[in-house]
Amino acid sequence: MALYDNKYWLLSHIRNSFISTDDTGMCELVMSGERRDIQTHLKSMEPFPDPESSEDDEDDFESFELQMDMDFKIRERSNTAAQIEKLELARKRSAKMRNIKWEHTQDSATQDVDLFVKKDVSHNKIQQNKTSKLSALIQTHADTPKNPFMEYAKFDGTGQVNIPTKKYKIYLTMLPPQQRNYPMPVCCISSSKVKELIGLILLKFSYNYGTANLKDPNHYGLYITEEDGEVDSDFPCLDYREPISKFGFNCLGLVEHKEGTKSVSFPDDSTTLFTIEEMNRTRTISEKSKADENKQMENDIQAVEDHNRLMEAPLYHSFRAFMLSKVKPKIEVNIGVSGERIEIDPVPQKGSKLLPFKAKAISHPIDSIADCEITDIRTNRTCFRIVYGANSASIPNSNLDSSFSSSTSSSLQYPNTTSYKNYDFESNHVTANDLVQKVKLILELKTSSTRVEYLATKEKKLQKKKSFHIVK
Amino acid sequence: MTIDSLDNDNIILATGGYDHTIKLWQTHTGICTRTLQHAESQVNALEITPDRQHLAAASYQHIYMYDLTSNNPNAIVNYEGTSKNVTCVGFQEDGKWMYSGGEDSRARIWDLRSRNNQCPKIFEVQSPINCVALHPNQVELFVGDQNGIIYRWDLRTDNNEQLIPENDAMILDVEISPDSQLMASVNNKGRCYIWSLISGVIDTPTKMIPKQKFEAHTRHTLKCKFSPDSNLLATTSADTTARIWSADHFTLLQELKQTESQRWVWDTAFSADGQYIFTASSDGNARLWNVKTGVMEREYAGHQKAVTSLAFRDAS
Repeated sequence: MALYDNKYWLLSHIRNSFISTDDTGMCELVMSGERRDIQTHLKSMEPFPDPESSEDDEDDFESFELQMDMDFKIRERSNTAAQIEKLELARKRSAKMRNIKWEHTQDSATQDVDLFVKKDVSHNKIQQNKTSKLSALIQTHADTPKNPFMEYAKFDGTGQVNIPTKKYKIYLTMLPPQQRNYPMPVCCISSSKVKELIGLILLKFSYNYGTANLKDPNHYGLYITEEDGEVDSDFPCLDYREPISKFGFNCLGLVEHKEGTKSVSFPDDSTTLFTIEEMNRTRTISEKSKADENKQMENDIQAVEDHNRLMEAPLYHSFRAFMLSKVKPKIEVNIGVSGERIEIDPVPQKGSKLLPFKAKAISHPIDSIADCEITDIRTNRTCFRIVYGANSASIPNSNLDSSFSSSTSSSLQYPNTTSYKNYDFESNHVTANDLVQKVKLILELKTSSTRVEYLATKEKKLQKKKSFHIVK
Repeated sequence: MTIDSLDNDNIILATGGYDHTIKLWQTHTGICTRTLQHAESQVNALEITPDRQHLAAASYQHIYMYDLTSNNPNAIVNYEGTSKNVTCVGFQEDGKWMYSGGEDSRARIWDLRSRNNQCPKIFEVQSPINCVALHPNQVELFVGDQNGIIYRWDLRTDNNEQLIPENDAMILDVEISPDSQLMASVNNKGRCYIWSLISGVIDTPTKMIPKQKFEAHTRHTLKCKFSPDSNLLATTSADTTARIWSADHFTLLQELKQTESQRWVWDTAFSADGQYIFTASSDGNARLWNVKTGVMEREYAGHQKAVTSLAFRDAS
């Protein structure tokens, strides 16, 4: 084979092998652009280019089987499986169907005589102009206004064949709360836009609850919703101009937008739909929903504050408190809390030298902190406790520290895991609350192994206690 | 008749077309009550059986029969054996047999009484069949084909007689008035031809005497239909309108037109008293019109593609 000593061919073969075995398409993406460069590069490297080979396969560096197309996608799966499934379905369906085949029989002798009987039409009485049922029905329902959402009926996906459809669970927030518990199933053709889906939902809604109080689809938004029907207001509603296929969520909530929030950009053409009476009704509805809105607003503000606190939690902040101990007098300390560590510095006191022991600064990395909680609330001060894992090295193990551990460690020692020790402090209510909350937030953010273990042992202990009670 | 008894139960309106579904409608609200699946092809024609139990859909190579009394969305009977599109379907008034015409140039009689089509009958013409109409005497079929020939096929004797109303024009529809006095036929040039029919006694065939010809529409006239009292004739057309003509002098009484969206009007049906008329259009909607005023009363929206056929059965 002349091909095997042709380095262009070999190179191209290797490259094609790379491309064809790589299902992610990455090789193709990287390699297909540089074909020409490599070719010219090889040419310039060759001292004596072989005139024959350069004539032959100058342009055919790719294998013949591989077609390089310019959109680099992941290779498509063969649709054989889908095809088989389709056939299977058709087979199943036809099993339920009676098939009658046309068979042409030549002998007309078998023909039934009574099959073709001539009917005498000469006395064919034409019925009188009695009102038919349809006419009566239409006339009695003559005042029924045309459903304004009827134009969206064609986006209904139920029963469609050969068209991709999407099924949704829609929670309708305009319903009274007791009716809101169950979502309305809506099936929509996949090619429709969000606005058209909203229109379809309103159409289905109007079948059950009438068209009163309903507005143009532009006044509504579809929000991502939990399976339990709670509308997730953290995300904006789905853009009503986008096709629904863009969004993967299948549980959505329909929410009516308040005046002036969203309707700015679209012309309001729904005004003609409503009589004054209906306007009044909508007003009461909107007042009600305004109360909801206020509540919602408060919640939002709360959420923002929480969020801010969460964001600021790892920042350094120092608190003033008194450290308590059973054996020693209380010392005033500065507790510095940051995302990395907790530092406890004794505040230099007048005449501190007179104290029988020396108070040293303590520092614990935040990873060793297991818990922080309020233990006691009194009239003018609050006691709180910081629990830490003793195995994790607390940096300067001062005599103060050790003396504390000796006094308190007994209560919280577990044989198999780290032993936990604690510091007890007291402070005024505000400081104590702030500190505890800050430390808790940091712990939540970091979730160190110490904390996890601590919580686990605590849980175990609680259960033990419980079972003990039951036995008793 | 009290309002309470006015429900949609006995009124059947079915529409079908190119989106491979057949929809059943609540006539006074425009709500689609059921969607039947017709996955394999478009729907060429729809017809309700005389006993109101079944719906026949003429499609490519098959006639499917759906059960109207159950909720089964799939066909329950499949009549197969035709090689091309089945273009029309209809029933003998007692439901003894079904007739069909197709693009395979054959009109067929399907025996419905026995479970397996004991006694089929076939009538072959020279070109694809567009339409078949049954004379109220139940023994003569009028078959219109693409060569522009109307055949009168006597089912008892198998004799046939040919009419050529106009050269180089396809017969798109043929219709006999319920009082057996008139026959109407429309072609792709928009013209409508009317014959007076003289019914023969016992074995003598019906005689057709040319009565009138008029320009019903400027483009293809797709369907023609007499009102149940035989006083009106409705024609539908590619010119996006349907027209209602008086059946005595064929003067235009009403034009059913909806300028915004209506496209080709394919099929039509009168209410039992002739006061209302349904139309089916390529814009995907069926519509209900008041015959006297020409006002559109209802719209039946929900089809994804053109609606090319409808079947309606009123109750009294």
